[in-house]
Amino acid sequence: MGTITGFLAAPATIRVCQIAIGLILGFAGLAKIGDLQSFAVQIHNFRMVPIPVENLIAMTLPWIEVVAALALILGIESRAAAILAAALMALFTIAVAVAFARGLDIECGCFGTADASRVGAVKLMQNAGMTAIAGVAALRPRRR
Amino acid sequence: MRSSREAVVEKSPWTGLVVIALAGSLLGVSYNWFGLNSGAAWGLPWIAEDRVALLEGEQLVSGTSDGDPYATTQVDPLAIVGAGLPEIRSHGRPLPIDLQAVEQYVAADAALVIDARDRFEYDEGHIPGAISLPADEAVTDPARLQALDTGGRPLIVYCGGGTCETSLDVAYELIAVGHERVAVYMGGFPEWLDAGNDVAVDAAGGGR
Repeated sequence: MGTITGFLAAPATIRVCQIAIGLILGFAGLAKIGDLQSFAVQIHNFRMVPIPVENLIAMTLPWIEVVAALALILGIESRAAAILAAALMALFTIAVAVAFARGLDIECGCFGTADASRVGAVKLMQNAGMTAIAGVAALRPRRR
Repeated sequence: MRSSREAVVEKSPWTGLVVIALAGSLLGVSYNWFGLNSGAAWGLPWIAEDRVALLEGEQLVSGTSDGDPYATTQVDPLAIVGAGLPEIRSHGRPLPIDLQAVEQYVAADAALVIDARDRFEYDEGHIPGAISLPADEAVTDPARLQALDTGGRPLIVYCGGGTCETSLDVAYELIAVGHERVAVYMGGFPEWLDAGNDVAVDAAGGGR
């Protein structure tokens, strides 16, 4: 096995990635909970989910993020939380990519209204990066 | 950390994953449902219901309606007061209004009519007396919405027909910044046009 995969699958690397992605998720979740209404509108602006589902997502998603973040940071069921985080990040990346491709000039809503970031190439790369980190965090630790 | 080669007990992550997702959803729903979240600005837990009802064409007919469609929501129906105008009351949410009522309001100049479509659409033709307030600009500029001078009249927002999400957005935003009597004309400009009503053509915004 190569040194890179070896490094990535090392327990320490995975732990660091887990904590990093946990902090990001936790912050994002709390920001959304703090301004739920705006987040619901932001979901609406993506125009990707049926309207009846928008508010349900707005209500639950931030909390799922927070719970997953806690699990990641505290190291409880952290691999499960990391897989969930990676799936969420991948989903967000796709959403941003689709919105970007459709030319929607909208707020990302990634961190609620805590950041004014808009959907675009930069956001897309950020998200891809975070997906990668979450992916590493979800790796199975390699015993040496 | 590298503890020999004894196998760590492999635990399937899937149970944990489901537990986390469920716990998060439950927390979210309870937080918003059971009133722990005091900021009720966004309305009921299932806030979408109102909007869905509007989008699915729940619409009040001007004139008396049998079977009060708002009986369960404790909202007074759009009432016809004598031969006068249908009343647009303060409901805390936009009231759907139909073509006939819009015609009456426009004829009497009794409401501030807002065109939520894009500006170029407005320029090509709009309901007489309407001002242009494209949804994109409106929802990002609450101060402007707040500053709208209604002259004590109710507001009627209309769009390009269809599901009319844009005018709903604007209407909700208008209510959010403190306007009270706000109606949404779901039929929008296409219906207005089909009914053979007058169309005004003048460029640039008007009534700013």
